[in-house]
Amino acid sequence: MIVTGKIVARIAALALVGVLLQLSFFSRVELFHTSPDILPSLVTALALLGGSMVGVVSGFSIGFFVDCLLVESLGISSLVLLGIGYLAGLYRERFEIHSALVPALLCMGLTLLAELGFATIQLLLGIDAPVSTLIFRDMVLKSVYAFFLGWPIYLGVRRALRPALVDEPKLRRRRQPTVLGA
Amino acid sequence: MYRKQVRRRRAVLALLIVGSFVLLTLTYTRGSTGFQRGVSTIFSPVQEVADRALKPARDLVDWFDKTFDARGENSRLRAELVTARKQATAAQEALQENAQLRKLVKLDGSPALAFSAYKPVTARVIARSPTVWRSSVAIDVGSGDGVRVDDPVVSGAGLVGRVASVEGGSAQVMLLTDHASAVAAKVLPPGVQGVVKPEVGNPEELILDFIDSTKRAHGGQAVVTSGWRSQGLASHFPAGIPVGEVTKASIVEQEAQQQVDVRPYADLRNLEILQVLTGGERR
Repeated sequence: MIVTGKIVARIAALALVGVLLQLSFFSRVELFHTSPDILPSLVTALALLGGSMVGVVSGFSIGFFVDCLLVESLGISSLVLLGIGYLAGLYRERFEIHSALVPALLCMGLTLLAELGFATIQLLLGIDAPVSTLIFRDMVLKSVYAFFLGWPIYLGVRRALRPALVDEPKLRRRRQPTVLGA
Repeated sequence: MYRKQVRRRRAVLALLIVGSFVLLTLTYTRGSTGFQRGVSTIFSPVQEVADRALKPARDLVDWFDKTFDARGENSRLRAELVTARKQATAAQEALQENAQLRKLVKLDGSPALAFSAYKPVTARVIARSPTVWRSSVAIDVGSGDGVRVDDPVVSGAGLVGRVASVEGGSAQVMLLTDHASAVAAKVLPPGVQGVVKPEVGNPEELILDFIDSTKRAHGGQAVVTSGWRSQGLASHFPAGIPVGEVTKASIVEQEAQQQVDVRPYADLRNLEILQVLTGGERR
């Protein structure tokens, strides 16, 4: 990915829209008593297209922004999402994405990892209440939702960042019909 | 060239990891920073617009979810209705008797009157935390509407939580299901007191802990806030706010306390309109 000022602005806009969608829509709807979490998928998509540097910086920034909007302790979401961004970026730098299933499966796996990471940090910081085993159901369902939402998120991000993608085939332009003799 | 890139990448990763730990150390359990409040204030109108724009889509997804849930709920609700009718009749009689007795003893400073001293401010939920480890919602009223930190928050059904932080036009509400939440409550009618705590990850169940095992609680009994007051200290919540219903009571072996499972009256997973009880006595 060629990162220019315009592309940074596009990534920032994607992050803003993603965070607002998460807090105002996805966190507030439930299917089978679990809300989807699109933020790990968004960071994964950005890292798969831009590499580990883009993944780490966008993960940190998105986590920081979420914590600011919810007025929560800063740093937890940033730490988890930057880790996700780094892993997804490493995958992109070492392997080819030769199937449409790869981004979806990565979103699923990394969302599960993000949930486990968040749980580990919270437990290390201390929880003042008993923890229900239903938390595992929540984690698994969140990652299943990430599998289904991962591909459209990846496509949307790829479309938004198309001008910066080096290996993206350029759009074919229809040739204007020419008049004979013109 | 490639090695230089790898080194730079690792340096950025290390820097951001250290940055995250520094932020965590500086802000954990120390409340909101001025910067966070500023960002929240700037973006709360945007969140409000997003909330209203996305409501039809949310309703559509909720409709699917509720259709799945509705199976089997009908018979349970019918049984509950029969019990509730009996309790309502008994409560009416008790209210009349209570009013007569109040007149007789000229009682003014009761907890019930303290509850009525609050001024409710209606609020709309504009955002919700994406993880079950933090259970909080953002609402569209703030200090400009008279909302202050620790004000109790209720829905039409019962207690929801309390205000954790306030900005000019918005506030954050810590829900009953947040791991840091603890509410002094009592079971009615025996009046045994305890502390309502959440079971993290299960928004449909609360736990009433630290209650005396000699006074037994039973399924179906109501749990309300106790609103204690002692030596200048007082609960954040006035007495008498409905919290939930006892679903199971069990005495833990080798412990002098019994543990009571409580189903909250308020649907904490699906909050739209709330009321902040403002203007109460400061603690």
